[in-house]
Amino acid sequence: MAQILYTFTLLKNKRVNSKHIGKIREIRMIWKSKSAITKMQALAIVIIIVVAAIAAYYLTRPTPTLIKNPDTIITTVYGPPSTLDPAFAYDGIVQIMNVYETLIFFDKEHIDRFRPVLATEVPTIENGLISPDGLTYIFPIRKGVKFHNGNPLTPEDVEYSFERMMVCDPDGGPVWMLLQPLLDRYCTRDENGNIAVSAEEIDKAVESNATHVIFHLKKPYPAFLQILSLSVGVILDKEWCIEQGCWPGTWNNWTEYNNPSTPPLDTKMMGTGPFKFEKWDRSAGEFIIVRNEDYWGEPAKVKRVVWKFIPEWSTKIMMFLKGDIDIIADVPKAYIQQLEGVEGIVCFKDLPLLAIITMVFNFNISSTSPYIGSGKLDGEGIPPNFFADKYVRLGFAYSFPYEEYIQEAYLGEAKRIATCIPDNIPFYNPEQEMYSLNLTKAEECFRKAFNGELWEKGFKVTVPYGIGMDYEEETRIALEMLAENLREVNPKFQLIIQGVELTTYEAQLYGEDPSPVPLNAAAMWWADFADPDNFFSGFMGSAGMYSWNMYFSTPYIDELLANGSSTLDPEVRREVYYELQRIYHDEVLGIPLVQLIGRWYQRDWIKGWYFRPVWEEVVLYSELEKGY
Amino acid sequence: MGLGAYIARRLLLFIPVLIGVTILIFLISMSFTPEQRAVLYARSPKQLRSLRQLAQKYHLYDPIHIQYINWLNNVLHGNLGWSITANMPVSQAIIEFFPATLELVLYSAPFIYIVGTRLGIISAVKRDTAIDHGTRVLAIIGWALPTFWSAILLLSVFYGHLDLFPPGRLGEAATRYVQSPKFTRYTGLNTIDALLNGEIWIFLDALRHLVLPVTNLVIVTSALIMRVMRSSMLETLSKAYITMARAKGLDEKEVINKHARRNALIPVITVTGSLFATMICGLVVTESVFNYMGIGYWAAKAAVCLDIAAILGFSLFVAIVFVVTNLIVDVLYAFLDPRIRLG
Amino acid sequence: MGIKARFKTFATRPELKELRFTLNMIKKSPLSLIGMGIVLFFALIAIFAPVIAPPLPGRDPYIIPREGFSRTPKPPSENHIFGLAQGGYDIFYGCIWGTRTAFYVGLTVIVCATLIGIVLGSISGYYGGIIDEVLMRITDVFFALPGLILAMAFAVAFGPSLDSVIKALILVWWPTYARLVRSEVLRIKNLEYVEAAKASGCSDFRVIVRHILPNAIFPILVVASLDTGSVVLEAATLSFLGIGAPYGYADWGQMVSFSRNWIVGLPGNPYAYWYTFVIPGIFIFMFVLGWSLLGDAFRDILDPMIRRR
Repeated sequence: MAQILYTFTLLKNKRVNSKHIGKIREIRMIWKSKSAITKMQALAIVIIIVVAAIAAYYLTRPTPTLIKNPDTIITTVYGPPSTLDPAFAYDGIVQIMNVYETLIFFDKEHIDRFRPVLATEVPTIENGLISPDGLTYIFPIRKGVKFHNGNPLTPEDVEYSFERMMVCDPDGGPVWMLLQPLLDRYCTRDENGNIAVSAEEIDKAVESNATHVIFHLKKPYPAFLQILSLSVGVILDKEWCIEQGCWPGTWNNWTEYNNPSTPPLDTKMMGTGPFKFEKWDRSAGEFIIVRNEDYWGEPAKVKRVVWKFIPEWSTKIMMFLKGDIDIIADVPKAYIQQLEGVEGIVCFKDLPLLAIITMVFNFNISSTSPYIGSGKLDGEGIPPNFFADKYVRLGFAYSFPYEEYIQEAYLGEAKRIATCIPDNIPFYNPEQEMYSLNLTKAEECFRKAFNGELWEKGFKVTVPYGIGMDYEEETRIALEMLAENLREVNPKFQLIIQGVELTTYEAQLYGEDPSPVPLNAAAMWWADFADPDNFFSGFMGSAGMYSWNMYFSTPYIDELLANGSSTLDPEVRREVYYELQRIYHDEVLGIPLVQLIGRWYQRDWIKGWYFRPVWEEVVLYSELEKGY
Repeated sequence: MGLGAYIARRLLLFIPVLIGVTILIFLISMSFTPEQRAVLYARSPKQLRSLRQLAQKYHLYDPIHIQYINWLNNVLHGNLGWSITANMPVSQAIIEFFPATLELVLYSAPFIYIVGTRLGIISAVKRDTAIDHGTRVLAIIGWALPTFWSAILLLSVFYGHLDLFPPGRLGEAATRYVQSPKFTRYTGLNTIDALLNGEIWIFLDALRHLVLPVTNLVIVTSALIMRVMRSSMLETLSKAYITMARAKGLDEKEVINKHARRNALIPVITVTGSLFATMICGLVVTESVFNYMGIGYWAAKAAVCLDIAAILGFSLFVAIVFVVTNLIVDVLYAFLDPRIRLG
Repeated sequence: MGIKARFKTFATRPELKELRFTLNMIKKSPLSLIGMGIVLFFALIAIFAPVIAPPLPGRDPYIIPREGFSRTPKPPSENHIFGLAQGGYDIFYGCIWGTRTAFYVGLTVIVCATLIGIVLGSISGYYGGIIDEVLMRITDVFFALPGLILAMAFAVAFGPSLDSVIKALILVWWPTYARLVRSEVLRIKNLEYVEAAKASGCSDFRVIVRHILPNAIFPILVVASLDTGSVVLEAATLSFLGIGAPYGYADWGQMVSFSRNWIVGLPGNPYAYWYTFVIPGIFIFMFVLGWSLLGDAFRDILDPMIRRR
């Protein structure tokens, strides 16, 4: 290389003599000989030039307008949906709620006030659309609404939508929310999987005529209007559904359509909403909806909304900082400093979520559990009824460092709660006593446990957590803090923390009866609707998700739950739920850890967002605009 | 024996290999209980209550050989099952995810090979000089870097600060265009499809998004090729016929290229072969960091989530790739070194 | 012969001469010395880990002690000279004890994988025919096994631990070596000195072990020496996914994985958390460098084709 440059300078200066000619010959020979080394240098130069050219092209283009992609909102909120079929979708419904519509919806950020959407009026007792006994709801249906394929919306479509939900009722789906008020059941099938409802029952529950749709409830259900505002209440086009192979609307062989393995509407959407479904590219991780130009109401302000699913945190935050993403909401607490004080970003803090995390005691651990050591009270294990002794539970409750935990694990951004409901749910008792860290009291209680035997012998229990589960790190911290404190109370108290493969963990926790897990370290619940029943039944009822195989539920608790959910009378409900909270606290059914507090980050050119505590991820993108 | 017969025979023996792989994986998947495998079919945590019913519904309690035969039967009819992690049939998942990985590998492999072999040759020829030491150390730095490390660093410099080479496969405008009916998909590789559609700006955009992932892969993998090449070259250069060639008066460059390199390439080809095959089967980290979601990303997710159907389908795919690559490598041996008989 | 004469014959024996030549070559090659030095340095760290970074009494020394539970890393300070990783894990402790883990994991996997590879590869290449076919097809089967699946299965079957990971990695790694050995054996077995050995009546075993293998081994050395580093990194990926060492285990790979989301730093200070990835990264890099220089040294110095150039 150097020789070539040297030669060129020579030629420029025109001082060429025999020596130089010799050099030039040498150089020509080098070029001709295609030597390995020069060739590589040439190749390297070519590559560098190509890359530099691409870079230069992009660097010298006129700076694009400040707002990237001005007619599109790009959001990364709440991962890809698992399915688009409303009868199946439980989490990941924000896409459904932007393309489909319900009869009524929450009025902005209020969770107890509604506005009419596909109905023209919100039923209340005052306007007569709710019967005085709370068993009949009447909805007048809006006229002139069209589905995205042009079909008109009729009350028949509404009736079909709800009946179809109940006909489908897949395992683990959201339809129980409709079945509860309408049929007073959790499922259309019994424990053995056989159909336990009749066609008549479903048919009678929802009726329609030319202008109205009527719901007949089996018992008064306070949360019914809330449920109708969720994804189980979206209205589908009957014609289109039948075309896609859904239940044809007739009753002679309806059971064939019950609990299908594949959702018929898994990847298709046909709604009435301000956006139309355009594309779901599952391999590239993109979900796209476009503005419905023929929308019956006020049209959306942006032309397109794109959900991007970005697996790598560093990449996500870089794209957000560069403006290639407009909204990020699920920022782990550990990384919020990476977004502190950045220009062009708006952060909404202290958003009280309707979500809690508690620990749950198992009163009757499976005797073959790998987590109980020797299975006896000999210092090398715990007996299966370890947590059935109230003093043990009290001891644990006094040993947990509640405040410190929130500081360390959540950087202070979480709330303490007394029992298993968050503080912004109706009938939360603000006066309810809570346990606090008190190692002296803990010692007192432990000394009384098992008639003093526990204090002498000590115990050794392994508490598992799922590797890769949500809030894994927070759970680990909680367990480590608890273990440390227990050790401090009595060095013979050993709590071992073990990471377990996730599917194993979930199977053990939710699939086995009795469960082998001694302590559910992270029982988390996000409200389905803003009603205390939603929480208490899950954490305390004999069929609750977190209590069915933990053996502490009692008939009295079940009775209370039934009473509370079948009346509209606020006084009765208050009594019931205050009593349930007292029971939870006095019997120490679990260790309440936190109520979650959220944050929402978006670029400052996004306007129109507000926070709604229930299903907060359901952002109606038709209300957002992009611009300054 | 003739080349054609050799290839035919290898392809036939391919089938027992495939069966062997699938049986092995099936046996491995049986180490999970039916309830554990049923967890995957749960579409939400609230569904975990019905694990037993789920397991029954998907025949997870049937004896192993029945499940295997069912699966094999389906495969022979072209149905590889449903991938829960991808939310689509397994065969479709492979078709949708593979082009991204293929594009990455096709553009990186030549660079890795060229950079690796050139550096290896220089290193060998200039043995024990500063250039040799320098190149070796540099290559090893690249190798020892954790892939995500170099990937994120590259991204933060060239995208975070300079906004030159963004993550993803295409920019927003190009993605809209590619998804519209105006654009026809031929291969799934953006660069080639763009050229076939005559849209040069999309071609350039795709190249722009390839620069960083390819650079990352070159940095992280060329050390392997470089070292094998160097070592092999050193051995070859000490052979008698090289001394002979020099004695004949041949130009040093010719000696290196015509005589030494060809014979030094054999171990390099082996290693390149396995490297290529491994890369085709996915580059999880690179794909993750650069949003270049390909088959590696999907397979890793499937593995962690125990998506058995996806795992089996992916293993079939991997088996095919490896067998074909090994076949090509073995044929290349014979081509490069006539002393090796194919028998 | 007298003692003096015996000694003189002994001193001029070819083996000793070669040894002296080897030692001379080592002395003359600075990179080999550096390589040996680095590996020795790490070996010393590994051996004296309990002294350099004393473990907490009564705890498993391989679990890194935590200083609080801070979710964010903390920079180097007096008590923690390399700083704290996320979760309050002491980086210094992790790197020192991680040296032991690195040796354990790296060497076990490589040695086992190489041995299996050599045995199968040489039998396959030497005998050819049906044996070759069968063995190569078996190799193909193992090549096609996705390592992640295997590791997960082992984790479930034997419990998640470093040992399960090692077993899984061995099974995934050996096919490359087998094929490499086989290709070398194929090349060498037709050379004259092999034929000569066979003609002079050596058993197959002797031919393979004493004549073919010592010449076939060098590409293996090259690949294996680089691989010791990659094994450590692979084990890290698996730990990250939860199938390897438990969280907080002293393992360089885990320390590096901890740094994954901190590489972007803070707005205005992109290198705020440099210590989380630079320091463990340097350990890994030096380890890999040391082993690869050592591998090169073995080859440069011991390969009879190369030594006397």
